[in-house]
Amino acid sequence: MNLDAVRHDFPLFQETYNGSPIIYLDSACQSLRPQSVIDAMNDYYVHFPACSGRSYHKLAAQVTQKCDDARSQMARFLGASKKEEIIFTRNTTEGINLVANSLDLKSGDAVLIGGKEHNSNLIPWQMLVKRKGIQLKILPTKEDGEFDLEGFEKMLSNPVKLVSLGYSSNLDGVTIPAEQVIRLAHKHGALVLLDAAQTAPHRKINVRALDVDFLALSGHKMLGPSGTGVLYGKAKLLDQLTPFLVGGDTVANSTYDSCEFLPVPERFEAGLQDYAGIIGLGEAARYLQNVGFDFIQKQELLLNQAVNDGIKEIDGLQLIGPADPARRGGITTFYIEGIDSHRVAIMLDQMANVCVRSGQHCVHSWFNSRHIKGSVRSSVYFYNTLTEVEIFVENLKKIRKVL
Amino acid sequence: MFCIVAAIVLSILGIFSASNRQLAKEALDCVFHRITFRPCTTGFDEKMKAKILGKVITRSEKSARFLNKNFELLAWIFFVIFLAASVMFVRGFVLFYTTGSCNGANSTGFCVFDPTGENTKTSTVTGGACPVPTNPSGSSLTLQNVDLNLWPVMNKGSKDQIVFVGCYACEYTREAYPKIRALVEKYGPELYFGEYPTKLKTDTLSRVGYCVYQQDPAKYWQMNDALFSEDVALLEDENATRAILSGLNLDMSSLDACMADPATEASVQQLFTEIRKTNFYGTPTLFINGEPLVGPKPYRVYAIALEGFFYWLK
Repeated sequence: MNLDAVRHDFPLFQETYNGSPIIYLDSACQSLRPQSVIDAMNDYYVHFPACSGRSYHKLAAQVTQKCDDARSQMARFLGASKKEEIIFTRNTTEGINLVANSLDLKSGDAVLIGGKEHNSNLIPWQMLVKRKGIQLKILPTKEDGEFDLEGFEKMLSNPVKLVSLGYSSNLDGVTIPAEQVIRLAHKHGALVLLDAAQTAPHRKINVRALDVDFLALSGHKMLGPSGTGVLYGKAKLLDQLTPFLVGGDTVANSTYDSCEFLPVPERFEAGLQDYAGIIGLGEAARYLQNVGFDFIQKQELLLNQAVNDGIKEIDGLQLIGPADPARRGGITTFYIEGIDSHRVAIMLDQMANVCVRSGQHCVHSWFNSRHIKGSVRSSVYFYNTLTEVEIFVENLKKIRKVL
Repeated sequence: MFCIVAAIVLSILGIFSASNRQLAKEALDCVFHRITFRPCTTGFDEKMKAKILGKVITRSEKSARFLNKNFELLAWIFFVIFLAASVMFVRGFVLFYTTGSCNGANSTGFCVFDPTGENTKTSTVTGGACPVPTNPSGSSLTLQNVDLNLWPVMNKGSKDQIVFVGCYACEYTREAYPKIRALVEKYGPELYFGEYPTKLKTDTLSRVGYCVYQQDPAKYWQMNDALFSEDVALLEDENATRAILSGLNLDMSSLDACMADPATEASVQQLFTEIRKTNFYGTPTLFINGEPLVGPKPYRVYAIALEGFFYWLK
């Protein structure tokens, strides 16, 4: 795979701000989109801007076909056994909320989550604690950010109905040993939901091999349009869920006092869908598969190693997560004692158009428990270059000298 | 401190740009937090500091380090400068409004509201019948020791007083005269008019004025009104003057006799002497209730000097 050719696919790299190109190191927040994804979405708006499924004219037939193709594409992307196991959502948050609100959780049922979960995988369960009286168990993270498998097994000794974990952390990039986690959880009779928002863009996922029960991801982190996502669920489990968002397009028929739900997945896709987004997401999955996860992981490791080597000598810099960059995917999160993380991020932007994320990255709970105000996160992706990483490091060093 | 400076500056800039409006909102929120002894939660100060440092660091790391270290102190300095500049601006505006010049009455320094100095221009061109006294500033303008009994006067006995030194041919006097007449018409102060020919050889008109005033004071003011409306080029033309006088139904033979009388010339010269005692250095020069105003001011300036700031309520 040729990096120059890959970069040519992303329109942002052709642009300059104040005479310099953008150095985008915030892909963990949202990735860039290749032209083919943009074109796929535009095609919908230009050539067949109609409803899927509901109408019988030729435009509707095209949309229906394209959305169906996208669903099949996503099923292949995740290794699902059938496309009906793919539910289109707006994002990972919606996918997790769908499970949280549709699964038959009762008072006293335990849900186990990790110690550095994104708010998307914390707040929905907190709400259920208040509303239904479920128990929320939190597995502390090891000091170096790695998953505590032993601690996890111990916590499973008491009945747990659902284990809901971030597959890869958006805080430090650490990926949990999902196969072992799922095996252990199943052994103890627990279902497993994985938040794969930070995994799907970076490594091959095979839901059948993993034997995961539910898996949620976002389109906007994997080259797809914002406002798109997928919830994968095993067909037999999805059949047992009661839709929590209902209305148009979820029912086959209704009377004044009852309704007949459509089969899965339609029953979970209420209201008119973001057809352009769905088509774009399908194209994003196709593009990623063409690039190949081998190339993606190799490039990320190369870049993250360079970040790691560059910043390790910066005075007062504290890395969050494991020291080995190979354990952190494309993410490097750090803070510098006494320096506001937003200030660093803004200065990087002002100095060299370097875009990084600052703050608590929607993992407030982890930061608050450690009394850390915030951090800077660089997240490289396969389309970044070593030169970009060098500029980032060089400017970070300058900032450290000044602040 | 930075928040306060930013809030003021951005509020002003926000009038013109939406992006600054949002920043101004954040700055105001920050100020509100600070004055209620709470920390600024918007991160505004951090954000702005980082933006400034980010720009400076690309030019000079040393300057950026200095700025970072002394940011609060510099913010204070800028605040004080800003405050001083604001006070000066407001003072300048008030002075301009009340005196016609940002720097105070009769100052000829640059004024941003009157960049070409229209309100302070005077006719100092010599070549007229009388030399203009040289006086570098308006500080010695005075009515002390000036005998106003020789000056033509209107509304004598009124509590307010306007003393007007001007000349018929001077463009700035001609600009000011109608405003003063309108003011006198509305508020009825005493009006003394001392005609001092500085531009053209119109000293004949001074004698004419003296004689007309002796014959009929009311017609003197009518004559003045006519002369100030007359084309300047005709002011040296005796026939044109006589036509004006005829139009006022004056006794022309008695007028001619008066003008030929050597006592008239003596009185006119005495009036010139009294006018010079004011130390005026250009026309028009006015004393409104003793306050000197040099140059053709806007009507409001004369009105404020006469009736006070709220003249428009009267």
